[in-house]
Amino acid sequence: MIIRSSDQVPRTTLLKRFPLPRNFGVSRQSRIERGRTWPAPAGATRVKTFEIYRYDPDSGKNPRLDSFEVDLDECGLMVLDVLIWIKSKVDSTLTFRRSCREGVCGSCAMNIDGTNWLACTRFVSETRDRATIYPLNNMPVIKDLVPDLTHVFAQYSLIEPWLKSKTPAPETERLQSPEERRQLDGNWECILCFCCTSGCPSHWWNADRFLGPAVLLQAWRWLVDSRDEATGERLDDLEDPFRLYRCHTILNCTRTCPKGLNPGKAIAGIKKMMIERRS
Amino acid sequence: MSKSSARPLSPHLQIYRPQLTSVLSFAHRLTGVTLGIYAIALVAWLMAAAAGSQPYSIVQNFMQSLFGQVLLVGGIFCFFLHLCGGIRHLLWDTGRGFELRAIYASGWIVVAASTLLTVAAWIVSSILAR
Amino acid sequence: MRSPLGRARGLGSAREGVESWWLERVMAVALVPLTLWFAASLIALGRSDYATFIAWLKTPLAALLMVLLLIALFTHLALGLRVVIEDYVHSGAKIPALLAARFACFALGIAGILATLRIVLGD
Repeated sequence: MIIRSSDQVPRTTLLKRFPLPRNFGVSRQSRIERGRTWPAPAGATRVKTFEIYRYDPDSGKNPRLDSFEVDLDECGLMVLDVLIWIKSKVDSTLTFRRSCREGVCGSCAMNIDGTNWLACTRFVSETRDRATIYPLNNMPVIKDLVPDLTHVFAQYSLIEPWLKSKTPAPETERLQSPEERRQLDGNWECILCFCCTSGCPSHWWNADRFLGPAVLLQAWRWLVDSRDEATGERLDDLEDPFRLYRCHTILNCTRTCPKGLNPGKAIAGIKKMMIERRS
Repeated sequence: MSKSSARPLSPHLQIYRPQLTSVLSFAHRLTGVTLGIYAIALVAWLMAAAAGSQPYSIVQNFMQSLFGQVLLVGGIFCFFLHLCGGIRHLLWDTGRGFELRAIYASGWIVVAASTLLTVAAWIVSSILAR
Repeated sequence: MRSPLGRARGLGSAREGVESWWLERVMAVALVPLTLWFAASLIALGRSDYATFIAWLKTPLAALLMVLLLIALFTHLALGLRVVIEDYVHSGAKIPALLAARFACFALGIAGILATLRIVLGD
């Protein structure tokens, strides 16, 4: 009932999805159709079904939901291990991003059982009986579980995530007290996986203009960096009814961050800074 | 760029898991808009009272009918949910209560407090009506 | 055929927004005691008759708080509706919807204040 950290998977589920039709409000080309079932190999012992979103851009067909029966005794412990097993043993066309397999690169971010997390740090034992795997929400899909992140990265470059100072660079480092350095903790660790942004309902409705929690967390990271001198200009660029103020403190972001960061708190900090500078 | 316009959009509201965070936030918005409709009723009630005792008693009789009472209790619940949720929002605006444990604890407190306050208001008004 | 950064930057930052955000919160803070007073008064009045209600509203405190409640309520409502409409309406219907909401809130607020004044200043 009380979630203490974002890696906690709730024991009970009242509602798996909102009570809406499966393809509610979805454009014709995005409608998900029923896909095929891939049966478990013969002699499989511990079998679990995974429902995985598939989309083939070359087929001209709509996306579909395939069911894979997986022998858990042949896979590693994580959802990513299952995906790799499926790709190597069952269907080699299954496409997904992956790299570090230890939760630090952000490549394998996807929607597992209705919430966004990294496939390489989600235990299979924590997934539902019929686990569902979708790509990150509200993103154009390139193929299968690979979203097109061009727009969200463009929003990231919009906030100019680099040090801006008129003071010429000193001979050695730009000095920072331990207290000032502590301000960056909880912000620099972001791996830009975009689990939070794709899980934000406000970003679903206004993806074109609302920057989203990931980008705003990084904006906060540069606002609190004591070495940065362009705080005022950064705040000017953020003060916009859409860029910043589409955040209604829904807090899906903090709930879903696979690194345990707190974008909601950072955005509240930005809003407080906005008030502080005019009062 | 024609490729990207042909690309399907991955599902969001259709498959995302309802959580306390998103559900309470939507409830806050829904009760807010509903209270806006009740605000119209408030103005109508005041205008009826200003018009005289006849129009006022028409409104009073409606409020005492079964349908009126259902609307009243519904309105009181919406009011307390939006009030408690609003206080939670104001706390967040001061920067407090953002750890996940606090988010969930305060969320359940809002649900419990709204229900209890609605029941309390109903009981008190029933007692006073005697 | 704009570049991704061009599309993301859009028309640039409006460089405003903190004023309406602050006003919505100020009105919210004001509404906490005002609505609690109103709810308590309603419960206390209960099924009293017309004369009792008029006598109650005519008291200086009740009259003042009722007018303040109407002002804070409809200001908060107007700001909240603006945010909701901006969230969901993106077609050409957005501006008419925003105008309709704002005008309705203003008109209802004035109507409520006028009704209160008629009761308070009347016989």
